[in-house]
Parts: sequence; C-alpha cells; structure tokens
Amino acid sequence: MDEINYTLAGSWVAASLRSASPLMLVLLGETLTQRVGIVNLGVEGQMLAGACFGFGAAAVFHDPVLGLGVGALAGLVLSLLHGVLCIQLRVNQIASGLCVMMLGTGITSYVGRVFVGAEVSGLAPLAGQFASAQSFWQPLLTQLTWIAPLAVVLTLVAGVLLFRTRTGLHWRTVGESSTVAAALGLRPRLVQWQGLLTGGLLSGLAGAVLSIDYTQTWAQNMTKGLGLIAVGLVIVARWNPFLVLPVALLFGLADTSVLRLQAAAVNTSSYLLAAAPYVFCLGILVVTHLRADRDAHMPAGLKAVFNDR
Amino acid sequence: MSAAPRFSLQNINKRFGEVNANSNVNLDIYPNEVIALLGENGAGKSTLMKLLYGFYTPDAGEIVVEGEPLVAHSPKQSLRLGIGMLFQQFNLVPALSVLENLLLAFPAAPWWQWRRRRLTTDVLACLQRIAPDIDPQRLVRDLSVGEQQVVELAKIMALNAQLVILDEPTAVLTPQEVERLYQFVAQCRADGKVVVFITHKLADVRACATRIVVMRQGRIVGDWRTETVTDNELIQAMVGKDTGLIVNRIAPPKHLLPKLMVKRLNVSSRVGTITAMDFEVSPGEVLGIAGVMGNGQRALAMVLAGILVPDSGEVILDGVSINALAHETIKVPDNVAYIPESPLTNAVVAQLDLATNLQLRALDALPFLQWGMPALHEAQHKLAAHDVRPSDPHLSAGALSGGNLQKLVIARELSRPVQLVIACYPTMGLDLIATRNVYERLFAQAEQGACIIWFSEELDDLLRYAHRIMVLHGGRVQSIGPVASFDRQRIGRLMTGHAQAC
Ligand SMILES: Nc1ncnc2c1ncn2[C@@H]1O[C@H](COP(=O)(O)OP(=O)(O)O)[C@@H](O)[C@H]1O
Ligand SMILES: [Mg+2]
Repeated sequence: MDEINYTLAGSWVAASLRSASPLMLVLLGETLTQRVGIVNLGVEGQMLAGACFGFGAAAVFHDPVLGLGVGALAGLVLSLLHGVLCIQLRVNQIASGLCVMMLGTGITSYVGRVFVGAEVSGLAPLAGQFASAQSFWQPLLTQLTWIAPLAVVLTLVAGVLLFRTRTGLHWRTVGESSTVAAALGLRPRLVQWQGLLTGGLLSGLAGAVLSIDYTQTWAQNMTKGLGLIAVGLVIVARWNPFLVLPVALLFGLADTSVLRLQAAAVNTSSYLLAAAPYVFCLGILVVTHLRADRDAHMPAGLKAVFNDR
Repeated sequence: MSAAPRFSLQNINKRFGEVNANSNVNLDIYPNEVIALLGENGAGKSTLMKLLYGFYTPDAGEIVVEGEPLVAHSPKQSLRLGIGMLFQQFNLVPALSVLENLLLAFPAAPWWQWRRRRLTTDVLACLQRIAPDIDPQRLVRDLSVGEQQVVELAKIMALNAQLVILDEPTAVLTPQEVERLYQFVAQCRADGKVVVFITHKLADVRACATRIVVMRQGRIVGDWRTETVTDNELIQAMVGKDTGLIVNRIAPPKHLLPKLMVKRLNVSSRVGTITAMDFEVSPGEVLGIAGVMGNGQRALAMVLAGILVPDSGEVILDGVSINALAHETIKVPDNVAYIPESPLTNAVVAQLDLATNLQLRALDALPFLQWGMPALHEAQHKLAAHDVRPSDPHLSAGALSGGNLQKLVIARELSRPVQLVIACYPTMGLDLIATRNVYERLFAQAEQGACIIWFSEELDDLLRYAHRIMVLHGGRVQSIGPVASFDRQRIGRLMTGHAQAC
C-alpha cells in the first residue's frame, strides 16, 4: 500500500517537473533578460519559433538533440531582432517585443503547416528499466528525460552566475542603471546584448523542449501564451533565478493537476479546467503584489521601459 | 611649479545644443596640487571634469596625460590611468550592497566571487581606512547621503587614483561629514595625489586648496595660489560683477501672538519620528531649524505641510487645524508654501514640462481643456523672474540642473502670498547669487506676515537671518530660543545630542 503511494507521489512529481521544464527554461531566460534592464515580450514568438523549427529539424533529421539545438538558435535569432530594435535603435521595448512576438507567431503558422502530423522520436528516459519496480524514484527515472535535470541545473548555474561572479555583478549593475554602469567603465549595450541573447537561447530551447520532448507534436500556437505567462511570473520569482524552480513547479503542479482532474473525469467543462492554471497564476501575482516590499527586487532600469527616451 | 604638468587640458571646447559649456579652456594640473575649481551653477565645472574623466568627448581640444595626448578617451581608460571621479550625482547602484558596489570599481576583483570572506578583507581595506563603521553587506539605498559619499570615496581609494576629482562633495554633507572630507583631501595630498575639488563654497576652498581656478560661463576667468587672493576677489570673479551678497535681516515681529501653533505632536512613521513637540510661531517670524539630517526634520515638515497625519497632537494655522484637513484630503493647504528637500523626487514631476510643473499646486482649478497660452505666458514670466535656466516652458523638469530645479519650485511656491512657508534646505546646491535670491523671496514672505519654518544646514546663515532657532535631536526639541542665545559651537553640541549645557 505504502509503496503504491510512493509511486503515485513520484509520478506526480515527475509529471510536474516534466510539464514545468519548458516554463522553467523560458522563465529563467526572461529573468536574465530583465536583469539587464530589458523586457522581452517577444519570448512568446521565440518559443514558438523554437518549437516549430526545432520540431522540424528533429523530424527531418530524426535527431531530437539536433532539434533542440536548432530550436534554441531560432529563439536566439528572433531575440537578435529584438536587440537590434531596442538596444541599437532605441525603439520602445514593448513595441519591439510585440513585433517579435507577432513575427514568431506568423512565421511558425506558415512554416509549421508542413510539420503538422510529423513524428519525432523524442528523448530516451533517464532509465528504461528500473530494478525495484515500486518506489518513489521509479516514475522519476522512467518518465523523465535529461531535460528536467538540465533545466534545474541551469537555474542553479544562472543563480550562481548572477550573484557570485563579476559577470553577474555587471549584469545587475546595467539592469539598475545604464548611466551608472557607463560611468563605471562598463559597456551597457554589450552587457544588455549578453543578457538578451542568453534569454533568446533559453526561450528557443524552451519551445523546442515543449514540442520535441513534452508533447512530441507540432501544433499551431502550441505555446498558448506560456511565454507571456513567463513575463508575468518573473515578478513572482522576484527576478531571482533561484526562485525560478519553485515558481515554475507551482505552475506545473497546477497544470498537471488539471490533467489529472480531467482524467479522473471531474464533471466540469474542460475549457474551464484549462483556464485554472492561469487563474492560479493571477492569484499568485495578486498575492505577491500585496506584499509591502513588492518593488524592492525589481531592477530599476526596467522603469525606464515606460519613459520614452 | 617648474615640473611638467601631469594632466593638461588644451583648448577644450564643448557644446550642448545652444549652450557653450566649455569654450577654449586651458588648464595644467601639476603634481601634488589641490585645485579648487570655483564657479556658479552652470559655469561648466562639471563638464570640464567629466571631459577629463572621459565621460564626455570634447568637441575640440586635447587632453594630455603625462605628456601623452589621449585618443578615444573613456571612463574605462581613466580607471587605468588612475583618474577617479566623485560625481555630483553619485555613481552607486542603490539596489546592490556596499561590498558589491566596491567590487564593481575594484580593478582586481576576481571573476569568481564565491568566497566572499577573503575578498571582503581585500576590498574593504579601503573602506575600513576611511569609515570602519559601515557594514559592507548593507544595501546602498539604505545608507544616508553622507555614508554613500564615503562609499564613493572608498571606491576612489580602491582604484589607487593619482588624480582625484571631487564634484561638489560638500553640498549634501553635515558639518561633521565635511570635516571628514577635508581630512580625506589632506590624506590624498599627503599620499602624493592630485585633487581637483569642485565647489562654490569659499569655506571649502580655504580649508583644502593650494590653488584656485575660477570658471564663469564656460571659461576660466581666474587662477591664483590660495594665499594670494582674497574672498572678495574670488566672489567678484565668480559672479562677474560687484554685487552685495548679504541680504538684510528683517526685523523680528513686534507682536508675539502665535499664528502657527504646534501642540504635543507625536509622529512615528516611515519618514521619521517626532516625540512630544510643542512650539509656536508669530506672524513675520523666521524660525530656523537645525539638526543632523534624519532627526525628525522630514516628518515635521510633512506634518506642517499637511501631507502626513500625526499619531496625536495638533498643528493649528490661523485658528484652523491643518491635520484635521489632512484627514479629509492629503494635500498641502492653499495658504501654505512647501519647499521639500530633494526637489526632483519630492516637488516636481520630472517628465512634465516646466509650465505644467508651475501649475501643479492648482491642479483642481485647471480648465478641462488646456489651451496653454495664458498659462504659458505666466510660466515664461515666472521662469524669467526667478532666473530658471534654461527658461523654456516646454522643457521637461527632469532636464534641469539641481540648482535650477530648486529655483523652479521656489517660483511656484513663493510667487503668491501665503501664511506659512516650510522651506527644507532651500539653498542646497545653489550658488551665491541664487542663494541670495532665495533668501530675499523667503524673507519677503515674512515681511508680509507669514510664518517661516526654515530647515537648514548652513549654520552661519541660520545665525545671520533667523529670529529664533530650534535644534532637533532624535525627534525632540533639543533647544529653542532667540538667535542671540546661540552660536555655532552651541548648535553643534546640541545637534549631536548633548543636553542644554552652557
Ligand atoms: N548633458 C547635458 N546636456 C545638455 N546640457 C548640459 C549637459 N550637461 C551640462 N549642460 C549645460 O552645460 C552648462 C554647464 O553645466 P555644468 O558643467 O554642469 O556646470 P557646473 O557644474 O559648473 O554647475 C549648463 O548650462 C548646463 O545646463
Ligand atoms: Mg556641477
């Protein structure tokens, strides 16, 4: 009896981690981007590009790892566009981000038509067979691929990078004030490019993970606003990579719970249930916003996004 | 001065749009000098030094360091050459800790900063030398202005800069902190460094400088060794004409019937605390308030202005309770003029233009449709009358320099008759002429019968112009009395909390 409970818990955790991985990656990317003082609404488009081109490459070359790489590059290329617009040409970041988002949606709708119905092999689970069949670890090892551990490790690495290295110190300084950074002899634009492109890579990868590893299909607009959710959740995670994991997991948990409830044939409209994670997300946002020091963690440079200069 | 100059600015020109910030400036800086760079607001002092630091690029002219002309000068190169600059607006990142701010400027800071402990000792040696009392893990935004400046100075020390540029470092300091700064300058000189000290206070010059350079309207108009020049000559060079800088002290009120009454005031809030405060002010009386910043001044000013509701007690102006009003709407009453500290954050909306900022006190009276013309004329008139530069009413307030911003606020608050004026450090950062103008307008209100509550750190000015003086310490009235019963030393002692003694 006990063993079955453990297995159940394990499979619940595994499912949450699996469903949270894309969000974790894109949330981490957006966190790093905002840390250098740039808001990138284009992540939605970047994720779609990653999902679409990554899936395409994986299907055509029968190589899921190559697909992940191509997906990450697709995200990078779109973030490059955002960078040219808002870092080099000083276009308003919101406008430029929306533009990248629309571009990503449009291109993937067009190109993606040929991939609808295609098949990819997906990644192998961490362990195919597991000796002691019934334990907490069994579902983790059989249901998870190396993506989930990678995402977890990446958040930790990014946290250490941000808070314990000179590079991270430079990023945070630029995110607080480009003027001060310039006076200190840093090159703010260069640093912003670093943060933005890292975010681009991660969001593209997140999209590819979604299509290649999680759903193993391509569907038009399959991210369903996950990128934009990430932009909102950055606030909940207080611009802190170390909080990306718990925040993404909470969301993943809400998401999988919905699937389980559906599976358990709860008598509610599936559309309503599908909206639940977003309601949950709104709830967290309101709760965090009610706290007294809500602005204390926000990079000050982000406030300039709304001053046109 | 037979030695070759270490730093040399040759024929420097710099324009900002229409403004000639520097025109044909030549300045040689020799080893072991402390140069005081004097001049009124807008004379081009900061610009000249920012050019030397590489923050701006000159339109024409050369910067020569140890005989080598600099090409593609930048702050980064400055750090390499050993030029350190304390900016007028600090270059600290408020959201980072003191340690992180120091590491940012520390050339040898390692990439891997995990082992903070060892690093702490390395980097903080500099901080320890000038301020052992600052905890390096504190966030810079939680430090006082004086403490922030010390962190800046520690940064310059960490760089081991050979040329130390200080841009108006004493404008925001308490008298004790000013002393500490003078010691820092003396220490630099003893270590063989060159110091350029930008200021417009003659006291600073006399305390530190070996050489005095005066700028006016973008040009150097005088260059002396300190001993060879009198204060009057300096003032004349700075101002460009022979003007009296002393305002007449207005006569104290004849009738001592209280117009403003503060009764058993208690406040405990984010901006400060006030405990059991009682005082009265007569019409036409100037009450000067001294105290180390952060001893309840801010809370007192805000309660008097009606924008902070006290926990208990009352403020009564002309028989009307100001804080009863404050319970209904948080707004400065119409018969009160309020000049808060740090005007950029507390008194104007940086993104709005000057004309709109001048109207902020009468927002509810504005017509629904803004056709602009009458308001614009009035704004132009006020800007010209108060010598706000540039006087373009369409400019946004954030573009003004500190001194001009202060003038803008004063133009708004003091150009109509009021019953109570609350002026918090109204001359901070202003030059001699502007200071005189502010005092004239302030005391003109007193002559019309208003009560003046005047917070200031210029003890000499307080003693010269106030009728009564009140010293605050720890949110309490440490002492209050007619100005004749005070002198600098006594105020200084009271400010630091020593009781009434002699
Ligand atoms: N970044 C800038 N943009 C436009 N005008 C400027 C800028 N910096 C300074 N100025 C103008 O140049 C003149 C000299 O300024 P500044 O060097 O700051 O004077 P000071 O430091 O002597 O008070 C002023 O008229 C000021 O308005
Ligand atoms: Mg200046």
